[in-house]
Amino acid sequence: MIGGLGSLTAGRWLLIGLGVLIAAVFPLVYTNPYYMTIIVTAEIILILNISWNFILGMAGVWNFGQLAIYALGAYGSGYIMLHYTSVPVAIAIVLGGVLSAGISFLLAIPTLRLFGIYTSLLTFSFAQVVQYTALNDPHLGFSDEGLTGGSFGYPAVPGLFPDYGQEAYLRAYYWVCLGVIIASCFAVAWLRQSHLGYALRSARDAPAYTAARGVDLRAARIAAFVLSGFLAGVAGALYLSFNQSFTTSQMGLTPMSIDVTMLVIGGLGTVTGPIIGTAIVTAIQTKLINYPGWTLTVLGAALLVIVIFVPGGFVGLFSRVNRRISTWVSEGDEPPPGDPEPDQRLVA
Amino acid sequence: MTDVVAILANGFIYGSIYGLVAIGMTLIYGTLRILDMSQGSMVMAGSYVGWWALAEHGVNALVALVLAFIVTFILGTATELVSVQPLINRAKEVDLEMVTFITTFAVAILITNLALQHFGPFQKNVPVIVSGHVELVKGVTISYHELTMAGISIVLMGSLGLFLARTRWGLAVRAVAQDLDAARSMGVPVTRLYPLTMGLASALAGVGGVFLGGLYFASPTAGDQPLLFALIVVVLGGLGSLTGTIYAAYLVGLIQAFTEVRYGTTWTLTILYAAILAILLVRPYGLKGSPSEARL
Repeated sequence: MIGGLGSLTAGRWLLIGLGVLIAAVFPLVYTNPYYMTIIVTAEIILILNISWNFILGMAGVWNFGQLAIYALGAYGSGYIMLHYTSVPVAIAIVLGGVLSAGISFLLAIPTLRLFGIYTSLLTFSFAQVVQYTALNDPHLGFSDEGLTGGSFGYPAVPGLFPDYGQEAYLRAYYWVCLGVIIASCFAVAWLRQSHLGYALRSARDAPAYTAARGVDLRAARIAAFVLSGFLAGVAGALYLSFNQSFTTSQMGLTPMSIDVTMLVIGGLGTVTGPIIGTAIVTAIQTKLINYPGWTLTVLGAALLVIVIFVPGGFVGLFSRVNRRISTWVSEGDEPPPGDPEPDQRLVA
Repeated sequence: MTDVVAILANGFIYGSIYGLVAIGMTLIYGTLRILDMSQGSMVMAGSYVGWWALAEHGVNALVALVLAFIVTFILGTATELVSVQPLINRAKEVDLEMVTFITTFAVAILITNLALQHFGPFQKNVPVIVSGHVELVKGVTISYHELTMAGISIVLMGSLGLFLARTRWGLAVRAVAQDLDAARSMGVPVTRLYPLTMGLASALAGVGGVFLGGLYFASPTAGDQPLLFALIVVVLGGLGSLTGTIYAAYLVGLIQAFTEVRYGTTWTLTILYAAILAILLVRPYGLKGSPSEARL
């Protein structure tokens, strides 16, 4: 068996099943359209964060271009939805992911020639350049409205569920996104234990040693780029089709700061980290919605405090507390069998 | 002919200001091995100081520049104390380069949003330092403001070089850049040197901000584009190489001026990025960078 979910105990499976069940039933009970919109948007951001966490946390490639990849997925699928209406929307969303995977592959080639901080710089400026180019697009002369709609945002597209009423629409998108989230969480958990996952994680922690053991670092990282690019593209396409719009501000510095904060608060490189981080930050954002400007101030401060004092984020904190409790419970016994170290670069 | 003069003149001016903003990043990276993402917000802070001093209080231009230098020096020192100092002694357990990339980014978010709350989202007009302009050839004019900006940038970059080469503190900075542990055992006060270095680098960006504010505006996001260009310049020049940064700054300036004159501003970043990709594919450590060698 190449990969696996073997590290999950029966208790964990029960917990996961319960969580999924509650999440699936939730929109039947709760129908407030305002909060449902926020929740569905958060789900889409969570999909993006899962993809980003895969390349950033697990593969340890400091790719800060993920938002551009996400946006390109939105634009690509939007182009199909707008101009090729015979193609089913679901296919268009997948094709957006494929386009993003392709661009991610192209980005990986020059990026992986570089090392360390150069990687983040190149990808960071890639994101900025894509943003500025998209913003200027109507003036670039590709067509009248351009490929991206420029600063006006992408024109409205027929979404996945064009004839649904508001309540059913929100509920349907909620379930679609939930499905993608569950599938990608399991995929990431499975990949962690696969050849690729081990190669990526050991390449992150000890690149020279890993290369000496005959692992092709470049191939593994390119695979990570392509996989995470695909998921990011799907997230972008879902965002466009759900919100009926996509503006260049979706890939600016502000969303980048928010997403990085989500990842770091949750715990980089873990499977559950993005879920926790996205939930916490979305809650903070929703609470502070009446105090514009404070959101980012609070998040910036939180990011600083978490990185310095709680490296490993909340997941790291939980597993440390958990391990301490189990050590305390089993004092005198054999040391508790390996709850493996939370897996991240920022660990304390 | 007109085009050539315009490209050279604008390239020179862009290059000087990019050099001033980027050289601080290089200085910090060369000494501390930290990429300071708060450098853009220092430019922004500098342009607000320029607006406050010149437009609100009508002080002398030189006073405004010195004031911007002092304010951003303090801001930069504080940034270091908050975002880098707590991590230095944990360098063994955390990846310092990457963690400080995030913490300085967090500081940038904080400063930008505090400015947004205090000054509001609207652009403020920063008066130019010197008014008037000179016509080089028919159709190509350069304002005295831009000339002063280029001149002062070059003077500041030169004095940074002198500071590093000739003074005791400069020697200490270079020693730390070469070998941290050896410098420490020779009695270099590293914990005091780090904040000062970051303050100095921020102050250079702050002075640049007063000029850039005069060219454009002071606004909470005024630092984003300078940060992007500074990043492009330091990557192209090779992180930590001062001479590489200066070459790269003028190269980027010239490429930008060329694209603007020939193809218009909308294409600038795209073409610039393509050029940089091409250079990095051939030289992965930039023009003058080297993988492990001590720099500065």
